[in-house]
Amino acid sequence: MLLEVRDLHVEFHTRDGVAKAVNGVNYSVDAGETLAVLGESGSGKSVTAQAVMGILDIPPGRISGGEILFQGQDLLTLKEDERRKIRGAKMAMIFQDALSSLNPVLSVGEQLGEMFVVHRGMSKKDSRAKAVELMDRVRIPAAKERVGQYPHQFSGGMRQRIMIAMALALEPELIIADEPTTALDVTVQAQVMDLLAELQRELNMGLILITHDLGVVADVADKIAVMYAGKIVEQAPVHEIYKAPAHPYTRGLLDSIPRLDQKGQALYAIKGLPPNLLAIPPGCSFNPRCPLAQDLCRTDEPPLYDVTESPVPRTSACHFWKECLHG
Amino acid sequence: MVRRLARPAPQPGLHRLRPGHPLPGGHRHLAVPDRLRRPLDCDLSKAQEGSQPGHPFGFNGQGCDVYTRTVYGARASIQVGVFATLGVALLGSVLGGLAGFFGGAWDGFLSRITDIFFAIPVVLGGLVLLSVVTSATVWPVIGFMVLLGWPQIARIARGSVITAKQNDYVQAARALGASNSRMLLRHITPNAVAPVIVVATIALGTYIALEATLSYLGVGLKPPTVSWGIDISSASQYIRNAPHMLLWPAGALAITVLAFIMLGDAVRDALDPKLR
Repeated sequence: MLLEVRDLHVEFHTRDGVAKAVNGVNYSVDAGETLAVLGESGSGKSVTAQAVMGILDIPPGRISGGEILFQGQDLLTLKEDERRKIRGAKMAMIFQDALSSLNPVLSVGEQLGEMFVVHRGMSKKDSRAKAVELMDRVRIPAAKERVGQYPHQFSGGMRQRIMIAMALALEPELIIADEPTTALDVTVQAQVMDLLAELQRELNMGLILITHDLGVVADVADKIAVMYAGKIVEQAPVHEIYKAPAHPYTRGLLDSIPRLDQKGQALYAIKGLPPNLLAIPPGCSFNPRCPLAQDLCRTDEPPLYDVTESPVPRTSACHFWKECLHG
Repeated sequence: MVRRLARPAPQPGLHRLRPGHPLPGGHRHLAVPDRLRRPLDCDLSKAQEGSQPGHPFGFNGQGCDVYTRTVYGARASIQVGVFATLGVALLGSVLGGLAGFFGGAWDGFLSRITDIFFAIPVVLGGLVLLSVVTSATVWPVIGFMVLLGWPQIARIARGSVITAKQNDYVQAARALGASNSRMLLRHITPNAVAPVIVVATIALGTYIALEATLSYLGVGLKPPTVSWGIDISSASQYIRNAPHMLLWPAGALAITVLAFIMLGDAVRDALDPKLR
């Protein structure tokens, strides 16, 4: 297994109390596999990724428990200097907004080349040639002419390609893409996702795709982990989830997608708001918004049940997963 | 250094008016005609006289040539302005920048120290600290300005480093394996330096004016040093009878300050690739 996150807990110490952002997350990614992590804003999907990368702001953040095994080694026991050598070289991250993730005062060539200077000790001149090579690889036209240009001179899609090129520069084993297409328009989204998927196949990398866009996930992911209030509430192979969700929250998400055959009808929305992380409700954290909630849900926190009826391994954190699955 | 500049050795055969022209000797001298060479060679019988042939700016209260003194005054005034600004900008941005980047206890400690320095009144502080200094050079005055001036730049540097630090590209650089020093020097500094440059160049004019204030109070530069500040303060009491004595050094001061502010704007524009 390439990456295994075991029972990860992350909390933030704020003036108003302790915000529990991640409460016991388990997931794993194998080489060449794509895991999509799905959830609303504030569900802890980005915080989990930042903990894996080791770029969490500490303080106010704190990893209060769990293990992050990367190629069998627990990253949380490593020294900062050793982790820094892994970042960028063995695991890399693609950010949501490429414009703000590129330094406005350095040319893209300098920023791409920096990867080789930092990790490989390459000279400036050689690193520039490598930068051109990378820009060609992510299919930026006229790479040789554009290598000296600044981020603001590129379009949104091209900037995201540069981010992808930076992440792929040293051919890492794991890529974490944090909502890589959210800031792009729909046609460019498809191009960027195709490029990412193609490069992933080529280099046999593990990919963690963080998103709240169910449409993006369907095409590229192998398995999906749905997060809610810092927990994984359902984990399943991608097609199983679309066919029959085993958690009411997943069902709610799928029902909220506009569909052509529902033209003219009101669009479904999950009622209520995500819980305040300072005061997560007892029992199942989804119970105040759940249409299937019963007394049991308000008192007992559901464990991750194995969905035994499924031919492939999948789990759901709902006491009534059976009812939901046949729902 | 200043004493030598104030009383330069005669340079035979140099009769052209080319202030600031570097001579082959390697020293930077102001080349002025022989008869104007010594700013302290004065003729009391010509005190307060206006413009006349050979003396375009007239004479001051001691009968010294105002043109000569304005040209020589540039040395001390610009020395004070430039070195005080450099000292303040370096000390302030290093301390403030580190405090902003690392945060925590060091940040809290530094912020309280800047509060203490802000509480010291400049003129009163100058009267106390500089009255014990006997040196006639510009360095005690520069040192005093750096001592009281760095907190201003430190606060601005701290603020702009904190702003730049929160940018996504710093997080991105960290995610791609950049070290602390690399993030600070390559990603944060170029994006945080613009406000420091702008404030420092504006402060440069303030330092030249502050030198004038301190000299007026008798604790700044002392004669025989020639500076615009000394001349402005001594001329201010004759403003009704002989306004030309005030006008020329004050005009030189104003133009110099303006020039440095424009320099600051130009430097900031040059550093910002979005304007290229």
